Amino acid sequence: MLRVDHLTRRFGDRIAVDDVSFELAPGEIFALLGPNGAGKTTTLRMLAGLIEPSSGSVRVGAEALSRRNAPRLRRRIGLLTETPGLWERLSVRRNLLVYARLYGMADPDAAVDEALDVFNMRDRAGELAARLSKGLKQRVALARALLHRPDIVLLDEPTAGLDPASARELRELVLRLRSQRRTIVISTHNLDEAERVADRVAVMRARLVAVDSPAALRARVFGIRVRVVLGQPAASVVGVLTERGFSDIQADGHTLSIGVADHASAAPAIVRHLVNAGADVESVVAEEPPLEEVYVRLLDTTFARPS
Amino acid sequence: MTRIRALLGKELADLRQNPSIVVPAVIAGILSMLLPFFIAIIVPALAGERLSDSSDFQIALETYREQPALGDLDPEGAIQAWIFQQFLVLLILTPVAGSMSVAAYSVVGEKQAHTLEPLLATPLTTFELLAAKVLGALAPALALALACFLIYLAGVAIFAQPGVVRALVTPVSLAVMFVLGPLAALAALQLAVCVSSRVNDPRSAQQIGALVVLPVAAAFILQITGTFRLTLPVVAFVALALAGVNMGLMLLGVALFDRESILTRWK
Repeated sequence: MLRVDHLTRRFGDRIAVDDVSFELAPGEIFALLGPNGAGKTTTLRMLAGLIEPSSGSVRVGAEALSRRNAPRLRRRIGLLTETPGLWERLSVRRNLLVYARLYGMADPDAAVDEALDVFNMRDRAGELAARLSKGLKQRVALARALLHRPDIVLLDEPTAGLDPASARELRELVLRLRSQRRTIVISTHNLDEAERVADRVAVMRARLVAVDSPAALRARVFGIRVRVVLGQPAASVVGVLTERGFSDIQADGHTLSIGVADHASAAPAIVRHLVNAGADVESVVAEEPPLEEVYVRLLDTTFARPS
Repeated sequence: MTRIRALLGKELADLRQNPSIVVPAVIAGILSMLLPFFIAIIVPALAGERLSDSSDFQIALETYREQPALGDLDPEGAIQAWIFQQFLVLLILTPVAGSMSVAAYSVVGEKQAHTLEPLLATPLTTFELLAAKVLGALAPALALALACFLIYLAGVAIFAQPGVVRALVTPVSLAVMFVLGPLAALAALQLAVCVSSRVNDPRSAQQIGALVVLPVAAAFILQITGTFRLTLPVVAFVALALAGVNMGLMLLGVALFDRESILTRWK
């Protein structure tokens, strides 16, 4: 659905986006993670055909995005900008209606009514945008981005500044879009959000540092680990496991952390060995360090300079 | 065309919600309408003198003596007709002043309100965007100019000597109001929109766009001093020139509109 090949964008001497490539399938949610100035917004703008790459290409379906076909291909793309960007002196309905007409919808009024229903905004339709809360403005902006039923949805910091309830509501909307087979790219600083909704995440700082599912990235950085909490000091049973071929074992108080190849097959075996050795196993869980740890580790290891 | 109409509708709706933006235009219109009434009616009445007694208005008398259709006006009426006709050119300034602030704010205002990026993400082309912006400023300006013109004629009919209003409704004055006025306003607005898409501050756009007032003011002075007279051929020539200027400005506007700079460099 969306394919990016060696996308690069320079602003003078500064390289904002450097040789970025990825391909997204219909119904996939892809999160771009990175610090401020990492090139996330620039990437989204290139995907939306708002700015041109210095080199590389963006393909929407079978067509490469260019200056010539950008106005046409933009019909297939919905962009939620970092700020809602509503016309404050106009009503919610009027804001949406202008966009429905700009997108050439066959029945703009019906399209707006449908969007108002989907986003549960029918009762606020006549209200001036200026009077809406930030969460509601963001909801109207998302309705605007989706009004023309785009195949590709680009969301720039969609939950920035929203209260937890509004952020959750927005995440649910995004998940609903996935069920409609829309391809979604989210730029975010919110790692928890990325983990909750994204099928794959890309950590970027001008170039892509890593691209994979959150679980696979975690495994890549920290390995797959099983954490076992015991009723006795963990150090006393380390030998039991090393004898059974487990080599990466960390003992800390009553907790063991064991590096494994596959959690599903290793966890029962570990429990069996420990129980046979007379240990009291209180709990066994797959260790899942927060995505934040993965993100920090990835950026630190990639961009660490030798002292 | 649909997209231009859509954005134009938004511009006009926005204007209806914020009518104060046309206040400078209304003031300019009232002033440009009142000025000739002061000169031709109020001041002579207060001074107890007749315009035809003054040697300063001999140019007017000479001008109108050449026009047989105005032969039935007495010297006082001819001078009044001359004054009111000269100030018609000043009425052209009304739509220009009126629309300047709207046009100057058009692109840079969208950027400052963070509404430009979503707009540029639609299929809207640069030409369509600029055309809607220019028309959005032009429509209220023309409405205002028409209102000023009608009030002006009504005022002349009521307060000036009989027959003076007939002297104003000539092919030349109608062409000035309905052809030159809109074309000059269009040029001014296009200039302001061009500038608005290149600067970070609406005030800069307004100041630079206002330069278009200079040729209109120059035409007013040249005409009032008798250096040249607006005849139908002159009006036709100026109209053609303005049409060319407008086409050039539209092409220039599209060429100068740099989406990338606007999105990436303006803060």
